[in-house]
Amino acid sequence: MKSEVKEHVISMLVNNRPGVLARVAGVFGRLGYNIESLCVAETISSKVSRITSVSKADPAFTEKVKKQLNRLVDVISVAELEDDTSAKREMMLIGITIDEKNRPELSRAITMFGCTVISMKDSYCILQVVGNRGDVETVLNFLTPLGVKDIARTGAVALESGA
Amino acid sequence: MERTGAEILLNTLSEEGVSEIFGYPGASTLAIHDCINETGIRHLLVRHEQAAAHAADGYARATGKVGVCIATSGPGATNLVTGIATAYMDSTPMIALTGQVTTGLLGSDAFQETDIIGITMPITKHSFLVQDVRDMASTVREAINIATSGRPGPVVIDLPRDVLAARCNDDEEGGGGFLEQQEIHFGEEELRRLKQIARLLNESERPVLLVGGGVKLSQAFTELADVIQKGNIPFVTTMMGIGSVYTPNGFNLGLIGTHGTDLANRIVHQSDFILAVGARFSDRTTSVIEEFAPLATIAQIDVDPTSIGKNIKTDISVVSDIRVALQELLGLVTEKKREDWIDRIDRERERIAKEGSDDGCGPAGECIRMVQECMPEKTIAVTDVGLNQIWAIRSWKVKIPRGLITPGGLGTMGFSVPASMGARIGAIDHEVVVFTGDGGFFMNIQELATIGFYNIPVKIVVFNNGNLGMIRQIQHHFYNSRYRDSRLSDLVDITEIAKGFGIPSEKVAAEDPRKGIEKLCGSEGPFLLEVVVDENNYVYPIIPPGKSNVEMIYGRSE
Repeated sequence: MKSEVKEHVISMLVNNRPGVLARVAGVFGRLGYNIESLCVAETISSKVSRITSVSKADPAFTEKVKKQLNRLVDVISVAELEDDTSAKREMMLIGITIDEKNRPELSRAITMFGCTVISMKDSYCILQVVGNRGDVETVLNFLTPLGVKDIARTGAVALESGA
Repeated sequence: MERTGAEILLNTLSEEGVSEIFGYPGASTLAIHDCINETGIRHLLVRHEQAAAHAADGYARATGKVGVCIATSGPGATNLVTGIATAYMDSTPMIALTGQVTTGLLGSDAFQETDIIGITMPITKHSFLVQDVRDMASTVREAINIATSGRPGPVVIDLPRDVLAARCNDDEEGGGGFLEQQEIHFGEEELRRLKQIARLLNESERPVLLVGGGVKLSQAFTELADVIQKGNIPFVTTMMGIGSVYTPNGFNLGLIGTHGTDLANRIVHQSDFILAVGARFSDRTTSVIEEFAPLATIAQIDVDPTSIGKNIKTDISVVSDIRVALQELLGLVTEKKREDWIDRIDRERERIAKEGSDDGCGPAGECIRMVQECMPEKTIAVTDVGLNQIWAIRSWKVKIPRGLITPGGLGTMGFSVPASMGARIGAIDHEVVVFTGDGGFFMNIQELATIGFYNIPVKIVVFNNGNLGMIRQIQHHFYNSRYRDSRLSDLVDITEIAKGFGIPSEKVAAEDPRKGIEKLCGSEGPFLLEVVVDENNYVYPIIPPGKSNVEMIYGRSE
């Protein structure tokens, strides 16, 4: 049986307690569901955290995983977010050394892509990029030849649009 | 009032209706053992922690109440693991209390420290580490609620030594942290789906009910029997479903699947509509999934959404408490004679009876029937795993709810003897008979000491064939009779061992067991009957691996 593999964004509300992430990760691990990115943080209630995971898998498999997640006592809700009904963003921090050679191109990129310089120490600066995955990757691809030293990126965070 | 963590733990368990705990003490749990008698809870000291878990499991299966076991940190806790996994697979409501090193030492590889929460995460419904004595009472209540609600299962409560010793006033106790367990809601959508199922069932010509362990767990015994009677619907059971319903009128086609009856498997294969109630369509039930019930529309009722469509594609399903769904279904099922279908089943039954293809339990099966005849009707049978299990579930006619206890999901050898202790302690009005093989008997043989010490009047039947019989049978059929590592020998004198533990015993041949059985049934206290079985007595029919439910093997190939 062949099925189409597509990107799935699962958004869960969980109790903000020790060990809950391990239980959620345990479900992914036991079923062999590979996670591309994972984001965990408190919500407006300090008792509740939101976990946003992104995976590439076929829909039936994702359904199975969602059911198993729902069975965890500490999981309050599980929802899958679709592109057209949700807003999704990720962020990347890019460390790059500025020198005489790359300065003009770098300044141009910062203006063009709307990056923010959030740290500058000697000639090493850290840029912040926020956007959807495509945006973030475009910036990275542009800057890589200019000598990117290191990056750190969040996974996607997402919210359903419309209450 | 100021109480210690240990006192709060025990008082709360007692308030929640717990009256027995099976366990084994260690340094980390001494605070609990120190005050257990004062709280009115009875502690039964086993001889190995695994047995404590199985005893709690057997207690829960026999009574429907939550079973509780306790072990110390480290090796005590890890010894519970097989018992917890057994309970998890068969959805037994159970609380496993484990000692833990003091909170300050957590993660330091302290003496007898082990991460039991991490170890048991995949085999528990949930688990708690109590880090503050103020959370003790609410944690215990929450744990019991989780273990017993929805689809039941085992819950571990890990108890650091300092938290057990810490003191706290009633008014300091946190009332919070109590998780509302989502009630299984039977609403309009569920009713709409159930009506659809009822319509398909009413229109079907050759329906079969597939009864799983969920019926027992939701105590839907009478509701199920009512639906069967009203609609004239034949039924088959999974291994865990055995004992859910007793109808004397021939609607019970027996066990389905790998070790099922020829009749059950053939009728399911011919049916046009299957309604699974509290069954998950495990591989032991369906064999080759693509060839399972090829003509049937499949409907499923289960409390656990993950059980629906997990192994088989269902055409329509309802997530609901089974008892609630069956109550509703009773009103929707029309009375129907189904003469053609019943006739067809009767003809199949006659043919099978003539050919003797469902008579494959040999002298051991006859022995089990004789034991049942001389025991009271309310007797509970507990099986181990292997040939003894299949002989027992095929030969013992379960006439009461919870009348048969077997570790179906995990297939845990060594389960029967400790589980029978729990069953007998819990179900005080019922006699309990154990059917085990020599292999499983040896795996928890130390519990004869517990049985002797408390004089628990269980009747133990050990079928001794000097081999791992079911492994031997598989080697015979599928490994060209190369019996590697399955011979246990007959060098051990089991009856002498029993006597050494203070338990009267007798040895008989399977072909001539009457005298021994009479002694077994007539004994006041515990009794062990060793039944010598020929090593070439197997169980038939069986389904070879990779074959469908109707491609059975009916006997030995020479």
